[in-house]
Amino acid sequence: MLERGERYGFDLVRELGEVGGMATSEGTIYPMLARLRRDGVVQSTWRESPSGPPRRYYRLSPAGRRALEEFREEWVRFRDGVDRVVHKEGRDG
Amino acid sequence: MAERSVEKYLGELEGELRDLPRSRRQELLTEISDHIDAALAQTPDHDEAEIRNVLERLGDPADIAQEARQRLGVPRARSGAFEVAAVILLPIGGVVIPVLGWVAGVILLWTSRVWTTREKLAGTLLFPGGLLLPVLLFSGAIGMRVCFGSGVDGRVVSDTCGPGPSALQQTMAIGVLTLLVVVPIAMAIFLGRRAQGRSSAD
Repeated sequence: MLERGERYGFDLVRELGEVGGMATSEGTIYPMLARLRRDGVVQSTWRESPSGPPRRYYRLSPAGRRALEEFREEWVRFRDGVDRVVHKEGRDG
Repeated sequence: MAERSVEKYLGELEGELRDLPRSRRQELLTEISDHIDAALAQTPDHDEAEIRNVLERLGDPADIAQEARQRLGVPRARSGAFEVAAVILLPIGGVVIPVLGWVAGVILLWTSRVWTTREKLAGTLLFPGGLLLPVLLFSGAIGMRVCFGSGVDGRVVSDTCGPGPSALQQTMAIGVLTLLVVVPIAMAIFLGRRAQGRSSAD
């Protein structure tokens, strides 16, 4: 979600919350983001907002981009593996 | 009314996050609070139903705290022998070992991660010394009452006694004494309950 550039933290949380199965609730996403910040996977900047308090914007760090690439490759391998097993089981049973 | 449920939610969250380092806790509280403001800014009128929706989407404060502990590697505070000792020492420690027993209780109270700062403050200030002060006052009062009683009986008031306390003074003294006894005991029970609730929370 951060691949194409910076996102406002609130929008990010709302969107992630709407993707089923990712997080139990919107509130639990904030600790995850804090962890990603601490690990240096994402970087954040505060920006003034036209209304209300300053907003925190998130973007991928170079390390985050590399981690995403690696995760993607791994995920595809994992998914293909699971697919093969699950489909085979399905046909057999 | 509407703001109160937000405040209650943030208060609960703060309590749940008590075992996180202060800076982390503050940061997360600010983020959640900003989130609530941003979400409400998108709704036409900030009525109770909309606030409830926003809070429900955020989820249970306990879940957020659980996630935070997990992500930030903070073990959950559990009550153990130290907390039990603190709850016992605060009211009666000062009586058994004058003053020092209570001080030990205060040290245990503040080193524990089970209680919030507010609870620790209340535990320390209500009342310093625990039951030591009422015990001292009570032993003084017995001497006074013996003296006063002999005056009421119409017998000769011993001249070491001086004038007995008036009814009003007596009532006030009993009131203060009761307060001095009840508050530290109630405080210990309260702290014990909070600690208990937290140890069995997960």
